[in-house]
Amino acid sequence: MSSIPEELRYTKESEWIRMDDDFTGTCGITDHAQEMLTDIVFVELPDVGIEVAQGEQVAVVESVKAVSNVYAPVSGKIVEVNSALEDSPELLNSDPYGDGWIYKIEIKNKTELEGLLTAEQYGEHIASEG
Amino acid sequence: MKNTSLYEEHVKLGGHMVEFAGWRLPVMYASIIAEHMATRTRAGLFDVSHMGKIYLRGKNAADLLRVLIPTRLEKLSPMTSMYSCFCNERGGVVDDIFVFMISYEEFCLVVNAATTEKDIEWMWSHNDMGVDIENVSDTVSKIDIQGPRAREILSAVVSDNAIASLERFHFIYATFSGARCMISCTGYTGEMGYELLIDNSSATELWRALLAVGGSNIQPVGLGARDSLRLEACYSLYGHELNDDITPVEAGLRWLVNSDDTYIGSDVLRRQKEEGAPREIVCFELTGKGVPREHCAVTKGGVEIGVSTSGGYSPTFKKGIGMALVRRNAVKPGDAVEVALRGSGVPAVIVKRPFYAFNG
Repeated sequence: MSSIPEELRYTKESEWIRMDDDFTGTCGITDHAQEMLTDIVFVELPDVGIEVAQGEQVAVVESVKAVSNVYAPVSGKIVEVNSALEDSPELLNSDPYGDGWIYKIEIKNKTELEGLLTAEQYGEHIASEG
Repeated sequence: MKNTSLYEEHVKLGGHMVEFAGWRLPVMYASIIAEHMATRTRAGLFDVSHMGKIYLRGKNAADLLRVLIPTRLEKLSPMTSMYSCFCNERGGVVDDIFVFMISYEEFCLVVNAATTEKDIEWMWSHNDMGVDIENVSDTVSKIDIQGPRAREILSAVVSDNAIASLERFHFIYATFSGARCMISCTGYTGEMGYELLIDNSSATELWRALLAVGGSNIQPVGLGARDSLRLEACYSLYGHELNDDITPVEAGLRWLVNSDDTYIGSDVLRRQKEEGAPREIVCFELTGKGVPREHCAVTKGGVEIGVSTSGGYSPTFKKGIGMALVRRNAVKPGDAVEVALRGSGVPAVIVKRPFYAFNG
């Protein structure tokens, strides 16, 4: 059973966001996503400073099995990226909610957060997908 | 969809089961990279029972093979094996096969799962010599043990002194727990190892014994790492480097074309061997980031020269590698090319075949 921390918010596409303060959130892909992808070998990170809209592609994660786009859970500006992933993409497999974070985003519209899935809703969503 | 006799074992071991050529098989257990590296450094255990197994028997069995394959049958003596292929009249490959010569009147063929029925029809359509063709694919299991520790583990499970001195491409019959087991010193990984054929009823016991005796030196391996291992070793995969429209000469297997007999496709293949074929399979590695897959366009100086036939991440070399079918003489080792991945060209370099030299 994959881990789904209670305090995070999720998308149906298996991204997560953790609010670090009122305006900044850390984003990554879920434990379930990394289990599905298996061994991750490359991560293409976004440029710091770019603005993205909710649902827009921000990163690419490539595993031995498949390539997968990562989408922004909320609109905002990329303020930091986890450059450790360039040399150690396997952090996404070993610690998807910790050292495997992908980027930090300064969010534009806090109401977008309310539309995201809770841990319980996300758990139900992946269970329904089998 | 069919289950191999080891299906329950895969489920218990946490195998991620997928459909492959009509069979349920594990694509991996926990990690393709870990399974790949275990095979390179210790030993990997593979259930490849989906592979087709066909016996040819009769006094004309050798003559039937002579009509069907471009490779000199004289290469074989009893209890030895070789790689070859069936070709059509255009020289294209009907299937690539392994031929085990049991005696001058009995051969065992191991063929691809997806093409087993096609191969049997192909053989029957040329069998006007009364050769008996028996398909035992569903009743015989095939287990491969591959890697530097394969010999010691297998020798501890099947106590037969002949294993220690078994040479590459030779095979023996041994007894495991009362059952006859064919042990061949061959494989599809680039490592020293063995391929085992045993009746379904004894396969689970053999599989468990190899895992128990091997302990931390052996790892069950799924189809994912089977593919990355063969790709590093540059072994062709039917449907990728080989198909009905690609000849063995184009696929870099001109060494298979050496029979003096008249066989199906001999005119085309002899001519291609002398004059060259229109296309060739080349190897490339990415110098940029990414993982190449099949069907990626390969360009040189902005001009498309061909398309990738296989691609993947190499756990040994930690980069993207692949093979491509390109116009002959369009590139040579050292040339810079671009491989189209997700819409953009990623830089790559043509390298010599294979990526990983046989580790015997």
